[in-house]
Amino acid sequence: MPDTMARFTETECMICLAARLLEDRKTVFVGWGIPQVVAMLAERLYTPNLTQVFEFGAIGPRPLTPFVRGTMGGPSNVYRSLQWTTMNWAFAYAATGYLDYGMIGALQVDPYGNVNSTLLGGSYDRPKRRFPGSGGGNEVASLCWETIVVLKHEPRRFVERLDFMTSPGYLTGPGAREAAGLPRGTGPYRVVTSQALFGFDDETKHMRLLGVLRGLSADQVTRGMGFAPVVAEKVEVLEPPTREELAVLREAIDPSRMIIGREAG
Amino acid sequence: MKTVASGESAYHWVHPDDFREWVRLHKSREATDKLMTEHEAVSRFVADGDYIAYDFSSLTRGPQALVREIIRQRRRHLWICAEFTLHESALLVGAGCADRIDVGFLGYGDYIGRAVVEGRVRVFEWTNGALAARMLAGARGLPFMPMRNLVGTDTFVRSGARAAADPFSGDPVCLVPALHPDVFLVHVHQADVSGNARIFGTNLFALEAAMASKKVIVSAEEIVDPLEFRKEPAKTTIPHFLVSAVVHLPFGAYPGGVPGKYELDLEQIQQLNAIETEEQVLAYLEAFVYSVRSHAELLEQKVGWGRLADMIRRGSIREGYA
Repeated sequence: MPDTMARFTETECMICLAARLLEDRKTVFVGWGIPQVVAMLAERLYTPNLTQVFEFGAIGPRPLTPFVRGTMGGPSNVYRSLQWTTMNWAFAYAATGYLDYGMIGALQVDPYGNVNSTLLGGSYDRPKRRFPGSGGGNEVASLCWETIVVLKHEPRRFVERLDFMTSPGYLTGPGAREAAGLPRGTGPYRVVTSQALFGFDDETKHMRLLGVLRGLSADQVTRGMGFAPVVAEKVEVLEPPTREELAVLREAIDPSRMIIGREAG
Repeated sequence: MKTVASGESAYHWVHPDDFREWVRLHKSREATDKLMTEHEAVSRFVADGDYIAYDFSSLTRGPQALVREIIRQRRRHLWICAEFTLHESALLVGAGCADRIDVGFLGYGDYIGRAVVEGRVRVFEWTNGALAARMLAGARGLPFMPMRNLVGTDTFVRSGARAAADPFSGDPVCLVPALHPDVFLVHVHQADVSGNARIFGTNLFALEAAMASKKVIVSAEEIVDPLEFRKEPAKTTIPHFLVSAVVHLPFGAYPGGVPGKYELDLEQIQQLNAIETEEQVLAYLEAFVYSVRSHAELLEQKVGWGRLADMIRRGSIREGYA
């Protein structure tokens, strides 16, 4: 039984819930930022044989900790890789179907799992705020078999209509990806926050609430969202971060707490 | 091939045959001595209005000393390829050198986002993969490269890509135009004076970009004997006949690191991350770019041996980088 008395930050919880989604003995394309931390935690605790793939050409590294926020291609990130190659080949692994999972962050997500990481507010030419854009996120969300989107649990990030669609989810619904020319059988698999886990309805490709953090209700986690997700018949209870997960995060991966923050009080 | 959808953005374009003629006329096949200072390399090979690409990132083996020299020489109206980058776009836009950016990854920190919001720089949407594919098309002498993503999104709409019916399967496929930068900047572990170059570790598209670009400036941590390349030819990343200039710049990636040589200067990186305003970017540029005449002066006067020695000490991972 996990120890639910541990205190944790929202970011820690988001990272832990995401790390439990990865599958051992598979491949995952890891996006910049939080997904890197998720993959490190998963490797330490749950998926020691998961092959991590990075857009800059590192295939299967065993990243060293601590992790320095913002870094991606440095020696500790690419330590003891299976292969060092280049960007065109890294994306080629995704394009040819070798990569089971992809994991990316998001500013906004819509009911079909489409992702915005480009801008917020205003118009395209004069946005209110501008962010980095796709990076390799569009490749990850388009080409990996199953994409996991990790984002903060802020209801305003779940919108009916994105300010900008950077990377594809199911676009406008069933069949839309294939019609646009994206590889058959790919698409968003899970959307995970610090409080909730979503999947997608097989028929409608609409976002579906699968789980909520222990102590919260489906109403609580979906309140304020810009659309109403389908709620699964049986909503799973997501256990909060365990002491073991928190210890790995705090002692090994991010001892300076630059990423995970410090718990209040 | 029938076009089924078109992105609406402008894109940098050179006809493949025009590029071939440029190569025929301007890229020397002879292994001449191209060693020069960063001042001379940028003076001779970077012009106002040029399209500039670089490899790898601001934190890892980026051509930071060359970027600072471009800023010092106050080039204008550059169009940059912001692929897998962090700070270069902020510095080049902050200095008034660049006014167009192909994204990729726009960059990190609040300054560059504000510059877009305030209309001081024009952004063209691509993805890291699309820019790498464009570079591959350029390197293969092809007019475009098909790819399986980008389509279906606003990123596509705001790019210069096309979607067409694939003549073989009939399915829609994304086409991105070949990219032929005017200038490619790359910082490498080892080069010889003619431009043969070795990178240890991963790279984005060093060979593709060196092949596809009109002018290539290589800066190197170490200048080695040309015979070294012939002894271990499998280690050559870029052969000399692609290269315009070679500059010997130890710590040329500063404040980033070079794998196998030295780790990044985290304090300096955090200072760059924190830049938000025009005043802050100009203060940074004054302190670390304009106030010195060369990379050597930066290292001597602003960084100092203690800090460099610490970067070497922390760069203790050597496996794979030789």
